[in-house]
Amino acid sequence: MTDAFIEYDDVSKRYETEEGVVRALDGIDFSIPRGGFVSVVGPSGGGKTTLLRLLAGLESPTTGMVRVDGHPVTGPSPDRGLVFQAATLYPWRTVAENVRFALEVGEMDPAEADRRVEDLLSMVGLDDRAGAKPTELSGGMQKRVGIARALAPDPEILLLDEPFSDLDVATRESLQADLLDLWNRLGKTVLMVTHTVGEAVRLSDAVVVVQGDPGRIDRVVDVDCHRPRDPETDSFKPYVSAIRGTIRSGGATATPNREDSYS
Amino acid sequence: MASQDLATWLPSEGGTVSRSRAVPRSVERGLAGGVGFFVLWWAVAATMPSYLLPTPIAVLSAFLTELTTPATLTIGTIELPLTELTVVLAQSLMHYLPGLFIGVGLGAPLGLVLGYSTVLDEYVSPVVSLLRPIPPLAWMGLVIVWVGIGHAGAAVIVSIGAFWITFFAAYGGVEELPQEWVEVAESLGVEDDLTMLRKVVIPGSAPSIFTGIRTSIGRAWMIVVAAELFGAPGIGYRIIHTAQSLSMDLSMAYMLALGLVYLGSDVAFRGLREVIEP
Repeated sequence: MTDAFIEYDDVSKRYETEEGVVRALDGIDFSIPRGGFVSVVGPSGGGKTTLLRLLAGLESPTTGMVRVDGHPVTGPSPDRGLVFQAATLYPWRTVAENVRFALEVGEMDPAEADRRVEDLLSMVGLDDRAGAKPTELSGGMQKRVGIARALAPDPEILLLDEPFSDLDVATRESLQADLLDLWNRLGKTVLMVTHTVGEAVRLSDAVVVVQGDPGRIDRVVDVDCHRPRDPETDSFKPYVSAIRGTIRSGGATATPNREDSYS
Repeated sequence: MASQDLATWLPSEGGTVSRSRAVPRSVERGLAGGVGFFVLWWAVAATMPSYLLPTPIAVLSAFLTELTTPATLTIGTIELPLTELTVVLAQSLMHYLPGLFIGVGLGAPLGLVLGYSTVLDEYVSPVVSLLRPIPPLAWMGLVIVWVGIGHAGAAVIVSIGAFWITFFAAYGGVEELPQEWVEVAESLGVEDDLTMLRKVVIPGSAPSIFTGIRTSIGRAWMIVVAAELFGAPGIGYRIIHTAQSLSMDLSMAYMLALGLVYLGSDVAFRGLREVIEP
């Protein structure tokens, strides 16, 4: 990884709880170049989600600093789009109104916002469902709307927290392909947390393994094979086994029910 | 986190989801139940004097008589020609409606703000915990001394009841909002509390608030009747007054009227809600 766009500079995160201090992350030090696609994998409770929330600005590091383009992250920003695992669409808004949310908040000219919403919905293949309520959509479609909503303010960075984990295999694979396509076309920098190693290898430039108590970066695996990647090929499998091996050997100390308990 | 209101929104496992709608009930069974009730009532009433239990027909005829007998409603210097039943109904409405509007009008915004603001909540929650268990009618002594037991006094009692119901509905509605809704909004550019309230908190807790208002609409009628036992004019006062002279048919006719009015206000509110949020 060359020029650092996103930088974790010796970041640690501790929580004060009633049972004492819980150390979630320690000594996190890595960077992502502009336009890169990095996935974070590791056992539950290993601090993956905390890592993402620090970059989102939803939490602040106890020590160290997270920087984007040289500027410290101090809070959430429309420049860092967020997609959660759960369908977090606003149920009182239609599909189009959900995508429009950031544009309303940013007081974009209504006619321009209309055009932008239209573009975004056709980008995720949902232009014909603009007027539907989120509950009328399938899980996969809801995810697409969530991604379109996060892309609305044209963020440079897209943060995905286990975005496809609650979908069936076929839907998940088609969404992975579409995400890759979006990433190619839009040139966003992506940080994705996932518990599916295959998904991480299929999509990412690099896979970061975070585990332990407190969570540390155990290993960074650069994935050097052409996209689209086929999980059945011989060039793909070694990455998966290498990452799985790392997790198996180091994940035993991770304790569940820690910082991930909010989700 | 999964409240009943949220449950209707959240998708079920996989697949397409549609908003759950009430299944149309069987008209035949409802009719059969109603007929059964009246037959039973009639059979029991036939065995005893009418001052203990009048027959359904006697009650219905008393109801129709009260509904049609001319009477005058006097409000200050204005005299409205109505009927016996509509006069007392109007009198009850004169404290029911202001009480309901004041209670809901204060309860919903206060519940929203305190549910949203942790700091304010910390200031207020000891007082809330202390006042919450006091039943609306327990305020009667204080109300009689301060405002007397007319329409205003009864309205105050009703507003206290409606206030707590709506307050906790709104407060709970905010507390049950998924944290992710707020976090996503922040990541989409919402920076100030007012925008967060307007764009996420209020629409998100609207189903809870509507439920609270609907509960208030029903509970307020019960409080109206109880408050009128202390002498405020209206339908509850008439129920007790007629029963004291053993005119049980009249008393029950007013009970019937109360049931119908409650049913009417509930249906009206549900209709209104359909219009507001289709």
